[in-house]
Amino acid sequence: MLDTLTLVETPEGIRLRLRAAGVMPRAAAWAVDFAVRVGVLWILGIGLMLLGETGMGLYLLLLFILFWLYPVLFEVLRDGQTIGKKALSLRVINANGSPVTWMGSIVRNLLRVVDMLPFFYGFGLVAGLIDPQSRRIGDIVAGTLVVHVGNPNQHLAAPQVPVVHAPIMLPADEQKSIVAFAERAQQLTVERQQELAALLPMLTESRGTLAVQRLLGMANAFLGRR
Amino acid sequence: MKQENFQERHHDEWAALDAWLVHRTRPKSLQRLQDGEGLFGDLEFPSMYRRVCQHLALAERRGYSALLIERLQDLVQRGHLVLYRTPAPRWQRVLDFFAADFPRLVRSQWRVMTVAALLFFLPALGIIGLLQVRPELVHSIFAPAELAQYESMYDPASSSEKLGRESGTDLKMFGFYIFNNVSIGFRTFASGLLAGVGAIVVLLMNGLLIGGVAGHLTAIGYGEPFWRFVVGHSAPELLSIVIAGGAGLQIGMALIAPGRRTRSRALVEAGLIGGKLVLGVFAMLVFAAFVEAFWSSIIWMPNTIKYSVGGALWLAIPLWLWRGGRGQTLGNIAPVSANNVGPS
Repeated sequence: MLDTLTLVETPEGIRLRLRAAGVMPRAAAWAVDFAVRVGVLWILGIGLMLLGETGMGLYLLLLFILFWLYPVLFEVLRDGQTIGKKALSLRVINANGSPVTWMGSIVRNLLRVVDMLPFFYGFGLVAGLIDPQSRRIGDIVAGTLVVHVGNPNQHLAAPQVPVVHAPIMLPADEQKSIVAFAERAQQLTVERQQELAALLPMLTESRGTLAVQRLLGMANAFLGRR
Repeated sequence: MKQENFQERHHDEWAALDAWLVHRTRPKSLQRLQDGEGLFGDLEFPSMYRRVCQHLALAERRGYSALLIERLQDLVQRGHLVLYRTPAPRWQRVLDFFAADFPRLVRSQWRVMTVAALLFFLPALGIIGLLQVRPELVHSIFAPAELAQYESMYDPASSSEKLGRESGTDLKMFGFYIFNNVSIGFRTFASGLLAGVGAIVVLLMNGLLIGGVAGHLTAIGYGEPFWRFVVGHSAPELLSIVIAGGAGLQIGMALIAPGRRTRSRALVEAGLIGGKLVLGVFAMLVFAAFVEAFWSSIIWMPNTIKYSVGGALWLAIPLWLWRGGRGQTLGNIAPVSANNVGPS
């Protein structure tokens, strides 16, 4: 499986691209959350211990809040992100692309109990590895999805160069490929740019740097720049 | 139209939507510092958003570059999350939920609820009765050390100070009951997903253990301090565990017998029902923890009042579950579930 991209059609007739997050980033986010929770419990715990038996009661309440309510409150009130998910640029959403609801978040977090069986998220791991969208059991039942926020392979704007007109009319998808090359060019080494440009000798009618420049120029023309 | 023209023509709209989205999704504390000057109003957002959706569709249709499409995708994605966000919870809805929606939901699941009640109360009452006739059987359930602990907790000779507690203030015990009992309730529900087996085991075991303790203490004559301590919180606590077990069973049933639905569809629907039931269970257990920590522990209260209050709760809670939300039209209750459907 190379891609976890899921397309979901919205009421506007637009397809949202949801990039489901795999087991590793999710585990890392969980570890961050775990550290945060243990840290809070530790710091507040010291203070509460000084209060004696009343502090003990408050400590147990805190334990309850950190264990059961922390993920739900964060996910619903902070755009589907706990502290760990925010650190790893992940987000919980409904499988239809809308923000996670109270009920969805409650169910997926309650069912952690099942995902944790038989030990250390065993069921959750197996489910995550089998499911094409890396959902654990709680996610499947709650109808939720953990996705990456933002785009991992960000394109850059095509560099501005003098327009070059292609010697022949190119079909739309080939024009698109050349524009895509121009937008990726800055992320590639000069050698790799030239190597790719050399694949189209008929089009560039040149070699090396000049071929790259001509391709970029054609991309500018296809984009409609003057 | 060439891409560059298209970008120039709509650039301002996209920038405006982008600025609005940044402003709108800012945490509230920051939002107050910076007013929304120069941005369009909230009411204009849906039409603005749909225009950009149209731009994206056009850009995809015309085969514009990945850069532009990604940018529009990003705007649309962020807009989607704002437009279809979860409505803020309102107190009226919370009230409606407990007054009507929750009891109705419990009744709608009466089959699993009946099974859960039988799984819990049959062994509990059975063992209480059995131990009155053959008290020695208690040793097949509990280890001697456990028995000694229960006996010391409810020993009538010393109960004037302790009353069913080893030690601890009311607040400490409240914290303990919340953490312990509510967690048990949640686990009872969640373990139902294991084809119902988890919920069945929890219900049977709890019935057996609770019945065992009650039966044993009654049989050896420690009944009075025990019953006057537990009678107050017994109704909300035991009934909520039964409901949690029922909620777990219906999720297990969706896994085993999804009926004329796909298994995943059945599980999602059962998860929704289960989630709502667990919300009610949570409230009942918090209530039970209050009673147990702050009422059951009152030592000077005469038995008559303790038993009356306990009895009143045993009447009131089933009555609430049985009558709550009857005679109301569906429309009054729909909003609770409506926001879970969302756009498809």
